[in-house]
Amino acid sequence: MSDNAPVGVVVVDDHPAILSGVEAWYAASRRPITVVAAGASVQEAWTAPGDTADVVLLDLQLGEGGPAFGSLRRLVDAGRQVVVYSMRDDERTALNCLDLGAATFLTKSEGRQHLVEATLAAADARPYMPPALAGALGTNTRPGRPHLSAREENVLIEWFQSESKELVAQRLGISVRTVNSYLDRVRIKYANVGRPARTKASLVARAIQDGLVDVDDL
Amino acid sequence: MDAPRSSERLLILTLERYGVWLRSGVVFPCSALGIVLADVADTPLAMSLLLPAVLACGVRLYALRRPLRPALLWTLDAAVLVLTGLSQPVLGGDGANVMVEAVVGICVVAFQYEWASRPVAGVGLAMVGVVVCVMGDVLSSPGQSPDAVSLVRMFVQVSLSRAAYLMVRARARAADRSAAARAASRREAAVAAARRATEREYLATLHDTASATLLMVSQGDGRDWSWLSPRARQDLEALSAMPGFETGSVDLAALLGCVPEGEGPARVQLNTRIDGPLVIPSGPGLAIFNGVREAVTNVGRHAGVRQAQLRAWAEENGVVVELFDAGRGFDPQSVPARRRGISGSIIGRMHTVGGSASVTSRPGTGTRVQWRWHGRARPSQAADGAQVTGGVPRPHRVQAQHTAAVRLIRGQFLYGAQLAVLLISVVWQFTVSLRRLTVHQDVYRPAWAQTAAFVCLAAVAVIGGAYLLRGRQIPPRTRGWSLGSVLAVSAVCAFTLPPEQATGPADWAFGVVGWHALFLLADLRARVYAAFLGAHMGLNATAVVLSGAPSTAESAVMGISTISACGFQFSVGVLVTRLLHGTAPAAGTAAAREEELRTRERIHEHMQRDHKKRYRALTATTVPLLVGLGHGALSPHDEEVRLRCGVEAARMRRLFAENDAVSDPLLNELRACVEVAEDKGVTVSLAVRGQHGEVPVEVRRELIDPVTVILGRTRSTARLTVVWTPGAVRVSVISEDCADDSSTRQNAQTHGRATDSKVNVARTTRGKSVWVEASWRRPVAGGVDLT
Repeated sequence: MSDNAPVGVVVVDDHPAILSGVEAWYAASRRPITVVAAGASVQEAWTAPGDTADVVLLDLQLGEGGPAFGSLRRLVDAGRQVVVYSMRDDERTALNCLDLGAATFLTKSEGRQHLVEATLAAADARPYMPPALAGALGTNTRPGRPHLSAREENVLIEWFQSESKELVAQRLGISVRTVNSYLDRVRIKYANVGRPARTKASLVARAIQDGLVDVDDL
Repeated sequence: MDAPRSSERLLILTLERYGVWLRSGVVFPCSALGIVLADVADTPLAMSLLLPAVLACGVRLYALRRPLRPALLWTLDAAVLVLTGLSQPVLGGDGANVMVEAVVGICVVAFQYEWASRPVAGVGLAMVGVVVCVMGDVLSSPGQSPDAVSLVRMFVQVSLSRAAYLMVRARARAADRSAAARAASRREAAVAAARRATEREYLATLHDTASATLLMVSQGDGRDWSWLSPRARQDLEALSAMPGFETGSVDLAALLGCVPEGEGPARVQLNTRIDGPLVIPSGPGLAIFNGVREAVTNVGRHAGVRQAQLRAWAEENGVVVELFDAGRGFDPQSVPARRRGISGSIIGRMHTVGGSASVTSRPGTGTRVQWRWHGRARPSQAADGAQVTGGVPRPHRVQAQHTAAVRLIRGQFLYGAQLAVLLISVVWQFTVSLRRLTVHQDVYRPAWAQTAAFVCLAAVAVIGGAYLLRGRQIPPRTRGWSLGSVLAVSAVCAFTLPPEQATGPADWAFGVVGWHALFLLADLRARVYAAFLGAHMGLNATAVVLSGAPSTAESAVMGISTISACGFQFSVGVLVTRLLHGTAPAAGTAAAREEELRTRERIHEHMQRDHKKRYRALTATTVPLLVGLGHGALSPHDEEVRLRCGVEAARMRRLFAENDAVSDPLLNELRACVEVAEDKGVTVSLAVRGQHGEVPVEVRRELIDPVTVILGRTRSTARLTVVWTPGAVRVSVISEDCADDSSTRQNAQTHGRATDSKVNVARTTRGKSVWVEASWRRPVAGGVDLT
């Protein structure tokens, strides 16, 4: 997809206020983002017109049931780019979503700063790392996690702490670009050890193509 | 080596008294007897020898009350021996020989106890005794060689006495050691409890005084601050006062009469009805007073009314105080644990002094706070300082401890005494008695009966000894059979011995069965033993009388032998009873008193040190603020002053949260600081990542302090994060609009840096944003490089 082409999104969220907030943020994007369908059920993403949207924005907590991990898995298996958008701010949920193959994980309090960028990144199969997710990855002790360098881990944690790449760059004496490349590399490493899926393959392929990572790194 | 502790000390004292009294009890009547029995011509000489001996004994008795120089006492003791020995040739005759031998024999034994703690002196006197005996024999019957047998017997007696003493002393030392070990652990507990109680009281005081004042300054602007200076000065005084041992009593009625009603808009008019006087110990009195003060402040702050009723009355052996307001009330369940006004200042304080406090309230129904304190009967010992060690009813505990200590000491004394008497029985039976039995085989009719009796007696000793050496008491049945056997031995020996030989050199049994019986009866009162000895003597007397009345001279010799054998045994029986029922409780009491004293010393030491430490922690930060506010150098209208007060108030809130029992104390203390900021209207977001772990309290202080400073100076929004990695814990705060922080930087670095706990603080500013991170490398394995 070209870097300025409009992006279609299907929004799955059962809260009308959230829906309208999301639409407002998307409307302010410099690159057009269209909400092609919106609703309280995952069905929206499987039926026209939502079934062809570039990105699925999925609220993990739909209705009374538990987290919608099953829906997420099916969407990923169908090759969809899913941005998980959740009230839950704990590392377990974030890591689970990433394991299942979500493009990224956002908490609702991060929506204003990160939703648009996360959606665009997902549409382009580029990595994106919001602070809450960075905190979860920086403290991840699960077996099977990718090996991170001390610097990568430190960047993750400081990004989580400060929510400001400028401050992280200032503290570490590096450029914001470098901060971003550390974060992206971590995301690629996770994608590389994650469940086989088309989204994962495209993420890694794109990263190699962009020169983000070396094949030898992986 | 340490000085002897209570059991050993009192054992030595008891034995000394025993020795002196035993000796006097023998010397006095024997001297009198000697003077009476002496020929008229020899009477003046006998008197000039025996009267000084009696006098010397008298002085020794006197010295029990008023100690004299040991050298003088030793000379007096030796003089008694020499004078008695010299009287032997003067008096002349068999009676004199037996008497002097008995006196010297008893004396040398008594000296071993009298001089128990100076064995050289005791042995020296024993040698003097031997010399005196030899000298007496030689002088009274020149030409005859001295009686070697009686000298050997004397040697055996002295050795046994010393051995018996050493055995009992070993047990006394064991008792002292184990009592000391128990006391030490109890002392640690008592000291720890007292320190906790003082800590609680100190925190409650801090909460009611400095913390409340600083919080009000930090939150308010543009109000009437006229009350602030005197209040700040009072707070300062309260903080520097050393908490702890308040002794004596106070009239609670008078105290409650001066509960402050508050100032300005927070003033509460108190409608007071007190049925005084209410005199109670000052600890609970002050706890109630301080609690009431805090409760009145709460009415002014939260109840929305300007009036409250304060009532107090006496109740059986205690007092009840009640504060009621008809204000808006609240749900006590919904008060967060970190709010300490009720839990610490009111309820916690009363628990510390052994009373109780309750708060009854519902939204819309007003609030009733009630304090209760009940006095308890105190034991005679160790009553002071009872209120220091917390809410446990102490008198009962002290009594139980005392009983346990006495039981322990008594058990050890009994064990030692039984071992000692067993030793005496066996050694005596197999030396003196065995020799007599073998030498006089031809005298007995029949001899096999005496031999069988000897074997039977040995069996009793072996069976009893077997129980004892395995550390067990002799079962009642075995004891009954053994005693019966011993009496049977006494009877058999009495009736198979020619009556004129009774108590004489051929009578091996008469002097020894008493020891076996004492060994069996040591744990019972002396009168039981006396009954046995009576039966034993009765059997022998019956045997003698049945075969014809003895002559007067024979009776006299038998009498003296009987008294010197059974009388001495009985005195030992009395001594054992005395040890078990007099000395042991006294030693227990003395030990308790020493323990109490030592405990109080330790508590006092610790409290002074703790207090200094706590005060030092405040001197860098809180004290200068209060001094400035108290003397007008700092104005509450100045924003910088208000910010500093806010930071200090938050630090105190964190301190109060330090003792909460929660799984994640770091987060709990952080939340306490966040609450202070939120009360000021700051929006704080708090996020935690990773698995929380242990962080020592002093490290927590350093980790949180930078956060406290930044939060205290934040005007609108802050983000607070805690990140736990396997190798480190990182606490970070980022403030979007931190008030100018020329002093903050310094504060963040100087405050609480007393410990070398390796907390790293990193700080980054960008525009108005300030980002401070405090990190601590956790000691667990796991290599995450922080930089």
